[in-house]
Amino acid sequence: MRKQGFLRRAEDAVDIAKKLGAPVAESYLSSAREFTVEVRDKQVETLKLADETGLGLRVLVDGKIGFSYTTDLGKDGVEAAVKEAVANAGNTAPDENRGFPRPFSEYPMLNIHDPQLSNVTKEEKINLAKSMEEDALAYDPRIKIIETSAYQDGEIEIAVCNSTGVSLTYRGTYCGVHLSLVANENEDNQTGFALDFALKYKDLDPSFVGNKAARRAVRMLGACPVKTQKVPVVFEPHVASGILGVLGPSFSGEAVQKGRSLFAGKKGQRIASDKVNIIDDGTMAGGIASSPFDGEGYPTSRSTLVQGGTLQGYLHNTYTASLEGTASTGNGTRNSFKSTPEVGTTNFFIEPGDIGPDDLLKNVGSGFYVTEVMGLHTANPISGDFSLGANGLWIENGSLAKPVKGVALAGNLVHLLKGVEEVGNDLQFFGGKGSPTIVVSEMSVSGD
Amino acid sequence: MIDKQVLEEVLDTVYTGGVHFADVFVENRKATGISCEKGKIERVHTGVDTGAGIRVVSGDSTSYAYTNDLTREGLMEAAKIAASEKNDKKNLSVNLTKVEPSVSLDIEKMPEQINTGDKVSVVQAGDSAAREAGGDVIRQVMVVFGDVVQGIVIANSKGDYIEDERVRTRYMVQAVAAEGEIIQTGYEPVGGYCGFELLNMFSPEEVGRKAARRARAMLEARPAPAGKMPVVLSSEAGGTMIHEACGHGLEADLVQKGISVYAGKIGQKVASEKVTVVDDPTLKGKYGSYRFDDEGVKARPVTLIENGILKDYMYDRLTARKEDRESNGHGRRESYQDKPIPRMGNTYIVPGRDDPEKMIEEVNKGLLVKKMGGGQVDTTTGDFVFDVAEGYLIENGTVGPMVRGATLTGNGPEVLQKVSMVGKDLGFTIGTCGKDGQGVPVSDAQPTMAVEELVVGGTGHD
Repeated sequence: MRKQGFLRRAEDAVDIAKKLGAPVAESYLSSAREFTVEVRDKQVETLKLADETGLGLRVLVDGKIGFSYTTDLGKDGVEAAVKEAVANAGNTAPDENRGFPRPFSEYPMLNIHDPQLSNVTKEEKINLAKSMEEDALAYDPRIKIIETSAYQDGEIEIAVCNSTGVSLTYRGTYCGVHLSLVANENEDNQTGFALDFALKYKDLDPSFVGNKAARRAVRMLGACPVKTQKVPVVFEPHVASGILGVLGPSFSGEAVQKGRSLFAGKKGQRIASDKVNIIDDGTMAGGIASSPFDGEGYPTSRSTLVQGGTLQGYLHNTYTASLEGTASTGNGTRNSFKSTPEVGTTNFFIEPGDIGPDDLLKNVGSGFYVTEVMGLHTANPISGDFSLGANGLWIENGSLAKPVKGVALAGNLVHLLKGVEEVGNDLQFFGGKGSPTIVVSEMSVSGD
Repeated sequence: MIDKQVLEEVLDTVYTGGVHFADVFVENRKATGISCEKGKIERVHTGVDTGAGIRVVSGDSTSYAYTNDLTREGLMEAAKIAASEKNDKKNLSVNLTKVEPSVSLDIEKMPEQINTGDKVSVVQAGDSAAREAGGDVIRQVMVVFGDVVQGIVIANSKGDYIEDERVRTRYMVQAVAAEGEIIQTGYEPVGGYCGFELLNMFSPEEVGRKAARRARAMLEARPAPAGKMPVVLSSEAGGTMIHEACGHGLEADLVQKGISVYAGKIGQKVASEKVTVVDDPTLKGKYGSYRFDDEGVKARPVTLIENGILKDYMYDRLTARKEDRESNGHGRRESYQDKPIPRMGNTYIVPGRDDPEKMIEEVNKGLLVKKMGGGQVDTTTGDFVFDVAEGYLIENGTVGPMVRGATLTGNGPEVLQKVSMVGKDLGFTIGTCGKDGQGVPVSDAQPTMAVEELVVGGTGHD
């Protein structure tokens, strides 16, 4: 019943736009409910329940596109939003490639809604966060401070309708835990962090997260800088997927068309070592960013972006695809009802190889195993230049020997991709981005 | 925006025996965003986001409920969700009295009184100026304009009732230059607690030219050096360093959790005696300014470090309550959908007496930073990094060639002790500061300063 009513509201918005002189229109309605609990010292510190519903409206008037959003879903609110969108269209440049997708006969069938989630009681969720805190403290007596031990979940409902006949809706759930803590020994404090997100409650593993965060902090105790040098570098999946995230925008058709992609004009060319395969898959089973259609109602898909180091293509929404004379890849993503569908990644990852992480270290012999970087948001996705603060462990005789902190790691993403020597078999996802352990032949480490 | 009586009713519902504090934060945010790329106005977005956050504090436990249903029924439903479960049902009555601001932050040109066409014009002006100044190597120019009018109403169980309207405008140009295989960028942002007058204070053409010239110059820059060396931070560079090196570590929530390297050090020397650090949200027109914080506490300047001695931390109501003191007006939230936490506003190092020119003369081999980018800190250890958006080598006391691709890395308390000279000048930059997933507008500033030693994370090896 509710589902029908929800879709109806989105359809009504398109009808209102038609009546107010915008015959070509699109509505995006989202409703999100989010629950968060944070515990500390076995007590609930914060309990949060958020409800948000909003509408984004795009109209196309004389080839010009305008957008407006509102949280006022009454008739007056929607009418005001339509008028704003029409007025905004008057100020944009006309572009014949603008348009809204047509309906498809089929969309990916995905299992992204966990009906069991609503049966889990608040107490169970609180206990989950508490047990994670306990597991972390029990791991080692040097775990002294739990900064945050949190559980969160959410349920979203999305509807997309347009005047070309698209009328779609889906519901999804997600849940997750995250833990950050501090280990202390001889006045030395080191932080540890771990998280786990899933579409289904039963897939969460709080004990694994508790132990992992604790292990990461404890192994860093006593860390100190190393000398400035060039060495082989091994990136943990968490760090590698962060770096992959910086590369994401370069695969966007929009960035390519606007000359701000590292990979513009390189389709069919070698952009990485032959060990590297990069995928974006909006239909991935269990993927946190999976959905049957994107932010403008186009079916999602799996795109192989890099195969054996060779660039296969780019990601598109309806507009950038039209400019290119190709089809959308279903990557018109929206952060919320407050934004337009822009080219973005979904479940975006480096495909795993065959070698386990321990064997990778053995093969490297000596080098720097990077477990944490700082300042990743300052890496420049257009020039590819990056320089990061880095912590990790020094690799000696093929195994992790001593903790290292306070050094900087610099290079260029283009060189880094080409320098990938090995890709591990341990693919892990951190939100919508994933990577196995990767080994890079040589990088600059700045220290003492 | 909302009926005062409804707020009293909401507060009466949640403010029961055993509850120490409760408040309601109502927000109506109207925003405009305009962007231009490829010389075309591509996006003109406007919208309104309205909602309320209700908070109930019982002992060390706090519950929050957020909704964008501002009807009486919607708010009462949210109130029941936030209400304490273990109360003894003894309702306490709240009578609201309006609190007037102590400082004025006047707006000259309110966003809604400016035609969208005029906003579009300044975007186009920045685009053409950048393309002209950059010449043939400019491959792309992106210009973004944004303004926000945030109307807020805050009511709490102490009986405070605050109405405020905050206006912020920002404008930025990013230029992309390319030659052969090399692509570089230049980025120039400006912004303030102000309306459209921002573009009188900063000429859009000049912002565009700065971005384009930086992108072009970066093509010629050589890789930054790697290793430890003396660094001069120009006042033009902005205050990212101080924001990361000590700002975050002085936020009371991190201090109380024991995850700040500055915890337990009030009265101790944490920096060179040349260093005095203030956070002052009452500065006129700055991006991080406000009259009341998001908990309705009046903003005021807070001296954090005075002549090297740690004096105070930045508090919100919850952290202040834990120490049985008053908040000093630093409780901020991104929106009604987030909880207030201790945050910075306008953080700066107070100007000193040293001559900026002299600082360069005294360096044999080092780095001059003329523009900082973003940064990050691990407050537990004090280790921080910040990006150098424009940097030059210093060789034998003179400014040498431009370098690219450098981040500076250091440890907060160690670096602050190594500040050897503090200049007479002062320069501001703006940014959106991220913490616990919430972004809030801030500005940071510093005079030209000499730091004896920082790790420069480049790729150039001797």
